[in-house]
Amino acid sequence: MTKTYPKASRPSLDDVSVNIEKGEFVFFIGPSGSGKSTIIKLLLHEVTPNKGKVVVNERDVTSMRSWRIPAFRRQIGCVFQDFRLLPNRTAYENVAFALEVIGKSKGVARRVVPEVLELVGLGGKEHRYPHELSGGEQQRVAVARAFVNRPLILLADEPTGNLDPDTSIEIMRLLDRINRTGTTVVMVTHDSNIVNQMRRRVVEIESGRIVRDQPRGVYG
Amino acid sequence: MRLKYVLSEVLTGLWRNVTMTIAMIITMTVSLTMLGASLLLFFQVNKMEDFFYQRVEVSIFLKADVTDEQRDGIKSALDGSALVKEVTYESRDDAWKRFQTQFKDAPDLVNATKKESLPESYRVKLKDPTKVKELTAEVGTMPGVSDVVDQQELLKKVFELLGALQTLALTVAIIQGAAALLLVANTIQVAAYSKRREVAVMKLVGASNWFIQLPFVLEAVFAGLLGALLAFGGLVAAKFFFIDGSLKALANVLLPIDWSSIWLMLPVLCGAGGLVSAITAWITLRFYVRV
Repeated sequence: MTKTYPKASRPSLDDVSVNIEKGEFVFFIGPSGSGKSTIIKLLLHEVTPNKGKVVVNERDVTSMRSWRIPAFRRQIGCVFQDFRLLPNRTAYENVAFALEVIGKSKGVARRVVPEVLELVGLGGKEHRYPHELSGGEQQRVAVARAFVNRPLILLADEPTGNLDPDTSIEIMRLLDRINRTGTTVVMVTHDSNIVNQMRRRVVEIESGRIVRDQPRGVYG
Repeated sequence: MRLKYVLSEVLTGLWRNVTMTIAMIITMTVSLTMLGASLLLFFQVNKMEDFFYQRVEVSIFLKADVTDEQRDGIKSALDGSALVKEVTYESRDDAWKRFQTQFKDAPDLVNATKKESLPESYRVKLKDPTKVKELTAEVGTMPGVSDVVDQQELLKKVFELLGALQTLALTVAIIQGAAALLLVANTIQVAAYSKRREVAVMKLVGASNWFIQLPFVLEAVFAGLLGALLAFGGLVAAKFFFIDGSLKALANVLLPIDWSSIWLMLPVLCGAGGLVSAITAWITLRFYVRV
């Protein structure tokens, strides 16, 4: 599959083909501008490839009609480097928001949200606002929000990019725990420490091409 | 939950941007009032045309020294004419009686006028009220005829005035309407910007498009409907104070605008205000803000 952005001199991803199994944990690594974040955008259907197909859960999403995208995204959770929490809502409300806007009742939120906040290790801090939480705790809220709807896939775009090494490792443990529930985790990173510690599949991208695809790999 | 969520979003949105909301409602109100006024005038002109053209007569005044022979000649010419529907003869006595009742409020005028100075006449209703010229050509030059007077000439001036008023109201409605639509588009952009984080999260977690867009669209619809209600209130007030009030004296020239046409404006204005705002908001969201 190939993706070229308008006005770009070369494709962001050039004839790349990757197959990720259900329940896998995959790192996409590579230098800035290598095209690894484009993978996340393709999987979210934020952009579409110029050539080739994106197949998620046995469904070709490349030519999906725009009104189907919301339903498709409910199967995918997403975490970012900058957390993207709503500053005027508490941890609880941030997670509940994700449920309420897809039509789940307040009752469902009351049952599920404390559970997932407990899972990410934020029990007791439900009613703190993002600015009252540390960076690691904010990222936990973001993970809880991504996971609360029990997605098939969790996408993580440099989730440890703003965190110190110890906190990063805690977040990785959390993602690992989520992976063990059967959720496929796709993580884009250039944090070599983390990749080396986790010993999971590593796909290395350079200038839009896959240069390495290694099970139980290291950063290299 | 959903309904409550959407409604609270709408109210917060309107309140957050309250100056813009007020501006939006005012321009909507002015535009819709003018739209309503021009529609009412349009109906009114049509109704008056029907009303008056059925009643309008051509008067053929006879010379003071008309002979019986000439009078009969004119009568038979009118009876034989293909243009004429109905002819009535008004003698000097009839004209005098009518003159007295018509100007009973001005006794000086009645006293100063002699019965002999009023001409006798034929009052003619035409099959096609527009064919006055043809009738004039037929009978205008007959001996004994002093003048052919068409009441329509006077009415035409009244209709021209009403038509001009209608065009004016419609022009103001369109200009104000354009301003209102730009304000709606602007309000939507501001609202979308102030809620950009929420919108980003909603899109990310897969909230449906209508769920994301509905609060914005309803904000605009709310302003449109409120503008329509105020405009309707304005029309009712105009009917009350203006048409039934200070212009009442003219009621036999300008047929009174009845309440049923005023009431008809309520759904029309609400429909126009609500629908146009909704479409503008949706287009802004879809193609400009790309929510």
